[in-house]
Amino acid sequence: MRSSLFSKLDEKAPVPLEIRAAYYPPIYTGIRAYTLQEFIEGLKKANGLSIFYHVFHPVFTSHIIPDDLHNDFAFWFRTQLEEEDIADMVSDISGGEPRTVEDVRKDIINILSQFSASRVARYPFSFLSCTPIVYDTGIRVETPGQLLDSVSTMTARGLVYHFVFRRVMGYTTKNDFSNWLESMGLNGPANELSKIDPQTYTDETKLRRDILLVLERWFL
Amino acid sequence: MIEKYLPIIGENEMDSIFKIAERLRGISVLHVNSTKEGGGVAEILHKMVPLMKELGINVDWKIIRGDQEFFRVTKGIHNSLQTGNSYVPQGWKETYEKWQSINSSELPLDYDVMFIHDPQPLGLIDYRRKGKWIWRCHIDISSPESEVWGFLKERINKYDAMIISSPIFGRGDLSVPQFVIPPSIDPLSVKNQYISDTTVKRIVMKYDIDPERPFIVQISRFDYAKDPVGVIKAYKIVKNHVDVQLAYVGSPASDDPEGEEVYRKTLAEAGSDPDIHLLMLPPFSDLEINAFQRGGSVIMQKSVKEGFGLTVSEALWKAKPVIGGNTGGIPLQVIPGVTGYLVNSVEQAAHYSLYLLRKREVSEQLGKNGREHVKNNFLITRHLRDYLMVISYVLGFSGA
Repeated sequence: MRSSLFSKLDEKAPVPLEIRAAYYPPIYTGIRAYTLQEFIEGLKKANGLSIFYHVFHPVFTSHIIPDDLHNDFAFWFRTQLEEEDIADMVSDISGGEPRTVEDVRKDIINILSQFSASRVARYPFSFLSCTPIVYDTGIRVETPGQLLDSVSTMTARGLVYHFVFRRVMGYTTKNDFSNWLESMGLNGPANELSKIDPQTYTDETKLRRDILLVLERWFL
Repeated sequence: MIEKYLPIIGENEMDSIFKIAERLRGISVLHVNSTKEGGGVAEILHKMVPLMKELGINVDWKIIRGDQEFFRVTKGIHNSLQTGNSYVPQGWKETYEKWQSINSSELPLDYDVMFIHDPQPLGLIDYRRKGKWIWRCHIDISSPESEVWGFLKERINKYDAMIISSPIFGRGDLSVPQFVIPPSIDPLSVKNQYISDTTVKRIVMKYDIDPERPFIVQISRFDYAKDPVGVIKAYKIVKNHVDVQLAYVGSPASDDPEGEEVYRKTLAEAGSDPDIHLLMLPPFSDLEINAFQRGGSVIMQKSVKEGFGLTVSEALWKAKPVIGGNTGGIPLQVIPGVTGYLVNSVEQAAHYSLYLLRKREVSEQLGKNGREHVKNNFLITRHLRDYLMVISYVLGFSGA
């Protein structure tokens, strides 16, 4: 049976979605932590791109951390401070819409403030920031059908730029795909896409699959 | 040449390199370092320069010159930066500055982007005429000797950006942006390309290793930082449980006065065990290193102090898990339980060696992960892309 929006698949949007992609070369911030307290101080000082890099950039499989942890902070708490409880809580922090890196920062500081760990890490946590290098992929999406095809085929760098980066950095309040669908009055799929929390993904192929499943449910 | 990497990195990755390079087409870039042959920097530049040219960038590579005294000074600077102790001779600043001045009058310093590698030509920034300047630091500057650091820092801060190999080498007292770009391996080089099991067997047998029995490998200089005595101690613990051999593959370090002493101590620790093979290979024994890394059952890099430790990536690329010291750039490559294990003691090194020798399926899985990790992060194509991005940054081309 066809879905309710099947007839909209080839309908043109008022404005096409221009697909860009980005790499995020890391930059050392000069902030380093050996203890929990130093980490909290560092987190307060680090810029938003630093939070993005450590919390959301692990969505790329190239940014490797163990499967059961979702971000660099959690990984350091486990491997260097040997604080499993902190690692688990920090790992599962919410990064869903409309939250930004600033919300994530506040939540992590709140979690960490509940603990008092005295261990000194052998290997410090070095806060990295990054500078997005954005390029145009040349892909233009004009219809929901093209969005479906593009999400399947675009580079992971494009997917994360539009679905994660711009929203968590506060350039938009929703991911670009939802905003674009809303511009066509397609609020159902837009809202459902908005419910996907990218923070808990450490594999871009799984994020891509879940976005596609939502689009499939609404359009096919 | 760049298309040879396509089957390894895939179309998306290759496409992104071309897309980022598109905006840089026609700009001029000059790499400057102190040697054309020998050492990791020259090895990388021999590959990097032609690759950048293929992308439409006008790249050149020049070498600075100096007399014996200048290179004695730069060696002293290098050691002072890496160890925190002063190794510079009297009058070093004058010698250093004199040769910066000479080189500045002989080198064309008018490129759009100047890529200055390591401390030897760092001072050329004082003669900047135009363009954007990037300092590529390949060494550990996290705990330098203060006077030498103060002298260099003043110059580093005149650059538009600098590049370090690991976050752990970063400095909190610099105003220049410090990009973190790890070094890389070339998957097509003799050291890393695929070689047959027959070749592996022939080479390890040449060095009296029994290919039918497992062997632990560490490829390192005989240097306290690499802990060769610790490697033997770990091997001895493992040997209590498994019939295993050890190949410590080193090379003579003629410029290291401690090397001889470390070798003697390692020899003493080895005793008369016929299954311990302490090998001294001549420089450029790339095929041999390839064979040992492929043939070994467990690859160790049990350093107690390390630069980046690129031998780890070389081994991971051959789908071998690595037991590495928790120091320097090793934790970027060895992800515990994913690509190997990080260790802080002899006992831990022995424990995980034994585990990997017993659990072949774990070893295989970690090896597969390791190869993927290197494919994503430590190949020369990633290095190339990262350089393009830093160039984009300094030229203000970072937006779409």
